[in-house]
Amino acid sequence: MNPSNPPQAAEYGGDEVSAIVLDPGYSTTRAGFAGEDAPKSLIPTYYGKYNADGQEKIVYGDDVFVTPRPGLSVHNPLNKDGIVEDWDMAERVWEHSFMSRLTGTKAGNPFQNGLNDIANDELPAEMEVESDEKPLSDSPLLMTEPGWNPAKAREKTIEIAMEKWDTPAFYLARTGVLASFASGKASALVIDIGASNISITPIHDGMILKRGVQHSPLGGDYISSQISALFKANSPQPITITPHYLISSKTAVEAGQAPQAKYKTFPADKAPDASYRALLEERTLAEFKECVVQVWPGPTRLSAPGPNGIPNEDMARTYPGRPFEFPDGYNQVFGVDRFRVVESLFDAKAAVPDPESPFPPPTPAQTIPELVKASLAGVDVDLRPHLLANVVVTGGSSLLYGFTERLNHELMQMFPGPRVRVTAAGNTSERRFGSWIGGSILASLGTFHQMWISKKEYEEHGPNIVEKRCK
Amino acid sequence: MASAGDVRDMLDLPAEGQPRPHKKQKVVEKRPEGITRELYALLGERAPPIAINENKYKGRPKWMNKLRVRPWSMAPFTNSARSDGLVLNHWQRKHESARPPVTAPAPDESQMDVDQPKEEEKDETPKTAEHDYAFAKYNIKPRLPRRYTDEEYERNLKNDDWSREETDYLVDLVSEYDIRWVIVADRYDFQPNLETEPDGNALVPAKQNRTMEQMKARYYYVAATMLSIEHPPSEMSEAEFELHERMLKFDPNRERDRKDLAALQINRTADEVREEAMLLEELKRITSNEQNFITERRELYSRLEVPISVGNTTMYQSSAGLSQLLQTLLQADKSKKRRSILGDGAVPSPAGQTPNATGSAGRAETPVTQAANHKKGSTASKETHQAVRTLTPAEEAKFGVTHHERVSAGVQFRSDRAQRLTQAKSNVQTQKLANALAELEIPVRLFMPTERVCKDFEKLIQSVNMLLDARKVSEKVESEIRVLEAAKFERERKAREAAGLPALPRPEVKTEADDGDTGISASHPGDPPAAPDSSAQAGHGQPDVAQETSNGGDGTHKRSASVLSATSESNKRQRR
Repeated sequence: MNPSNPPQAAEYGGDEVSAIVLDPGYSTTRAGFAGEDAPKSLIPTYYGKYNADGQEKIVYGDDVFVTPRPGLSVHNPLNKDGIVEDWDMAERVWEHSFMSRLTGTKAGNPFQNGLNDIANDELPAEMEVESDEKPLSDSPLLMTEPGWNPAKAREKTIEIAMEKWDTPAFYLARTGVLASFASGKASALVIDIGASNISITPIHDGMILKRGVQHSPLGGDYISSQISALFKANSPQPITITPHYLISSKTAVEAGQAPQAKYKTFPADKAPDASYRALLEERTLAEFKECVVQVWPGPTRLSAPGPNGIPNEDMARTYPGRPFEFPDGYNQVFGVDRFRVVESLFDAKAAVPDPESPFPPPTPAQTIPELVKASLAGVDVDLRPHLLANVVVTGGSSLLYGFTERLNHELMQMFPGPRVRVTAAGNTSERRFGSWIGGSILASLGTFHQMWISKKEYEEHGPNIVEKRCK
Repeated sequence: MASAGDVRDMLDLPAEGQPRPHKKQKVVEKRPEGITRELYALLGERAPPIAINENKYKGRPKWMNKLRVRPWSMAPFTNSARSDGLVLNHWQRKHESARPPVTAPAPDESQMDVDQPKEEEKDETPKTAEHDYAFAKYNIKPRLPRRYTDEEYERNLKNDDWSREETDYLVDLVSEYDIRWVIVADRYDFQPNLETEPDGNALVPAKQNRTMEQMKARYYYVAATMLSIEHPPSEMSEAEFELHERMLKFDPNRERDRKDLAALQINRTADEVREEAMLLEELKRITSNEQNFITERRELYSRLEVPISVGNTTMYQSSAGLSQLLQTLLQADKSKKRRSILGDGAVPSPAGQTPNATGSAGRAETPVTQAANHKKGSTASKETHQAVRTLTPAEEAKFGVTHHERVSAGVQFRSDRAQRLTQAKSNVQTQKLANALAELEIPVRLFMPTERVCKDFEKLIQSVNMLLDARKVSEKVESEIRVLEAAKFERERKAREAAGLPALPRPEVKTEADDGDTGISASHPGDPPAAPDSSAQAGHGQPDVAQETSNGGDGTHKRSASVLSATSESNKRQRR
């Protein structure tokens, strides 16, 4: 298409007002301009804190992963439910997400940047006023929130946006609604598999049905804990993950052989905090999830007998294994175990037991099929078949190999009558950033611009307006 | 020398159907730049498969340079759908009219525009404010009835179940969510105002969970009442009246029952779903076959209504005869281009499918017959065959089960057998039988050839045959009597002649005595006075003779005999 021609308004309905879409998640925070197809700025929500020269310093973004500073500890401003706990830090992390890539830091005083020669008497006084400028003063801001966000947190969010960032217009949308918009549906049952949570959100006409919103903590972090449990109980020898920063060199070894690597050691006073190591271990685990872990495709559970009498587990054993090499050079081929670590998302009894895990063993009510059932029980009967025909899968952890297939089988078994149709974006980034993309679509629509909460309205009604407007 | 056109003519090809294939032209590749002519010549005809010329940035075509750049600008706008006058900025193409008059068209004029957007924006701003924001027109609200006043509520809308506050809350919610009932029901969270009860001890009314049906019923009642207050039903427009009626007729209980059913429907088990799918499939099959059935049945009936040949069917009893029949029928079908008889025979007849069909073919009866044989055989085998249900005589009659002593091979129609009975050895006899049946108003081909009907028919034919035999005998006897009387008369005449008395007139019975055994129909046609006479005689003489031959046969025989005689008389008349 010729870039000099504008798209036809009738077919697209867009009207971009250079709005910024901010989608804060537990693991990553996504920010970008509305109307684009992917967030420009993607940073971890984790931030690092350390002391240097007696001052507390904070590291944001990808810098967290890079340097093992002495005493560096890693924190997350959100709690396990995806609700903000530490508002100061959440504000700073979010600010970093759009300041670093989108709005940029404001130009300093041109008289002080050393590029201009000024006579001393010309130093103007109004420069002081300009330094007070706030980061978002000319971009409307669309933020997302989980469906179970309490009213207090919503009010706090608009307060930050309006008062700290000075945005001219603000809107708070549910991630579920946006994910369904991203797949082009106004009514859908959104299954969002995130890092800390899995959530089921029924949506009707672009509004969530609060009584049907369900969530449970069996997200990506839970899967990581299951993988760790698996590594502890590994058969030739338990596997410990040594992150890259602790390894200075390694040599290749045969599969299953003990690693031969030279490790780095940090003296106690120079070593980073344990939370730093956990964060970096999590990166290896994420890689493991991407390369090895597979969801048993179904139609029956992994523990059940298969269609031709052979137990599914024996069937899974016949599949070729997948090799994985750890940072220290240890490598192994993973067979049926790679199915086991995610089976508990569908079958609570199949969880790999680990008494040391931070996650309690899952209850049957926390598994995805049960959540969907509970969610549908909370909405009107007439709506259920329509929702089942529009199941939208989103979230980074839903990219597990074979996940949608299994989900489809589980839903079809649970609801044999109505037509079940699972929609999942094939594109990795569309799946990971589903809710951001929906926000990008929404905030660039011409019809949406009447929905913004303007600064004037905020000043008139106070933060409570978010409850009235962002329904 | 023949041209291409001549060849086409000879081969009957269209004159200029396809253009002649072009002669292969030598593709002279252009010499790329940067290669000398001599070097290029050395490469020969086929250039090496290496791209020698590098890709250059083409840029925009030249003609585009002549176009004027149409500038865009970041322009503020307001949205009339908003009440707060929020000003947002978007990129907008500048209006040509808003452009300042160009004094001198300079080549870099477009450049200038881009460089000086600020000045033009000032011209732009009032312009955009004038016409409405393009998307404001999508801001629509459903039309809701007017809100009630206090007085109206007191007079018309009071309800024990719904307090004024809750009604207000409901109406607010409905208008807030634009009558999206699903969402209204989802967000409905009415907190009864507890401050109205100063008494701390008073029971706090349990917060009741309103169902969507309750809300709908209440809201529709309120809306319908308000509608009728605004316009009395007599003055309503048709659409309004319809809406009013529909809202008044809303039945929450029925709606609730419907939803219960819907819930049952959605919570079916896999087996139920499978069964339903199977039944649906079956239904589809049946409905699709129904049409076939109807056409086939019609065809069968039309075939049955073909006039029956009274000819003898014995020739078709042997297998050779049957195959010959088949051949001729096939031949006939081929010429008629109709469906073959085989095809019809292969499709089960509708009567054959019903379980209690009496006219089941011999093959269908075989298992029952076998069971019956076993029953006769031994008690041991009876025990082993306990699974086979034995039927009482009443049941046998009900289900039309019959036991045959001897089952002939192949399929045969019961009606055929009945038909055969009407065929006598001689045509005359057959004709007589047919006449008798016609007299009794029994069709030659039975309408309903059930077992019992066939049996009775058989009996009837037997008695008719017997009757005919009896009559034959009686006529014989009569004619003998007549001959003898004539002889006697002759003798008396001779005796009188001998005694000298005048001769008596001679009766006309002499010839009858010759062909008397052929029966009534053979009685002298050319003699009008004699015929009624003889028939009258027959009528008089018949009862006695019948009594003689059939050993005192009952009254029906007598009656039918008289009937038969009448028939024969009419028959005679027809012949004449």
